[in-house]
Amino acid sequence: MKSRLITALLVIALFTSSSGYGHHSAAGIDRTKTVTVEGTVKQFKWGNPHSWLEVEVANSKRASDIWNFEMNPPAFLVRSGWKSTSVKAGDKVKVTGRPFMNGEPGGIFVSLTLQDGQVLGAGQQPSQPAQR
Amino acid sequence: MKSARTGTRIIALVVFSVIFAASDVSAQFQPPGALGALAPANLAKPRPKPPFDLTGTWLHGGGADNGFRFSPPPGFKLTPEAQVHFDAARKAQAEGKVYRDDIGQCWPSGVPIMMTRVWPIAMIQLPTAIFMVQELMNTMRFIYLDGRPHTDPDVAVRSFNGESIGHWENDTLVVDTTNFVPDHHWIDSGIPASDALHILERIRMINEGKTLEIEYTATDPKSWEGEWKWTKRWQRVDERDIAEVECLPELNEHMPTTHSNANVR
Repeated sequence: MKSRLITALLVIALFTSSSGYGHHSAAGIDRTKTVTVEGTVKQFKWGNPHSWLEVEVANSKRASDIWNFEMNPPAFLVRSGWKSTSVKAGDKVKVTGRPFMNGEPGGIFVSLTLQDGQVLGAGQQPSQPAQR
Repeated sequence: MKSARTGTRIIALVVFSVIFAASDVSAQFQPPGALGALAPANLAKPRPKPPFDLTGTWLHGGGADNGFRFSPPPGFKLTPEAQVHFDAARKAQAEGKVYRDDIGQCWPSGVPIMMTRVWPIAMIQLPTAIFMVQELMNTMRFIYLDGRPHTDPDVAVRSFNGESIGHWENDTLVVDTTNFVPDHHWIDSGIPASDALHILERIRMINEGKTLEIEYTATDPKSWEGEWKWTKRWQRVDERDIAEVECLPELNEHMPTTHSNANVR
């Protein structure tokens, strides 16, 4: 029962880490905040130009929402230890991202915590130009 | 004496014909017999040694005043047609939304924006042309250096990266780009490119060949008044190669930012 009643843990904090995000406009994302949710991985895509992660999160209406997190490309993610096999459908995870201003479930991925406590970040540009 | 004069006339006629034929070789539609940029006979033609070779992998960034955006200059003035888009973009921004993010919907970014993505560009320089492949969506850009003119705008198939013709001026490669598409092509948020967009790039290699610097001059009388100028720089990223990067509908279905209600179409 308790597992069915996992509630979304919302943590609002000042976002400080940088990101190489830039394929297109981060439409409606609040870059000053983060949101953290706990749930079950539904799908994980390892690919270009963006990886993405969908997590099923129980909500207060005894139902669930699909939280969709947009991630950096694999070339960035490997710098944070990611592999295509890092997560799979059914895994219990905690995910932190930058949320939508309009409250839609999802956002830009910041980090993920696996059940064993391992934390995987958003990665970074493989080669920063000099003087950047 | 008469035969010598006739011979001279024939030579003059041949030279004239060659020059005339060459001037008819437009960038897109080559007349029969014209040589493409990769034809060995074209590559082998005698040409002055270029002042630099930008073959390599380049990533935009580095230094001050080198942002990725091609923002309008202070005091800019838009045409009424462009002002409508600009105002809509500012309104969307004020509401925490984004106006017509066509790149997010898989439209090509187009010149000049394709040059300053966070993805590197592979550049290959040959005597006849420079080939660029931007890793993001693998968008291709060709700059012809073999003396061909621009295609007649009434004939040209317009494109997001336009038609680029380059020539060398001392240590600088001067590239003239026209024949752009007018739809789904933006200079900056809310600043549309029209079919009258014209971009001149002055490309130099600085910092002992480690930095590429491009001075942009852009005019578009259907979108803004006067010339807009920017200077951008790229750094070599020798330890990288570019990969296949597609923008696919099924990918976008799972991209929260591209299908969010925060998008204003």
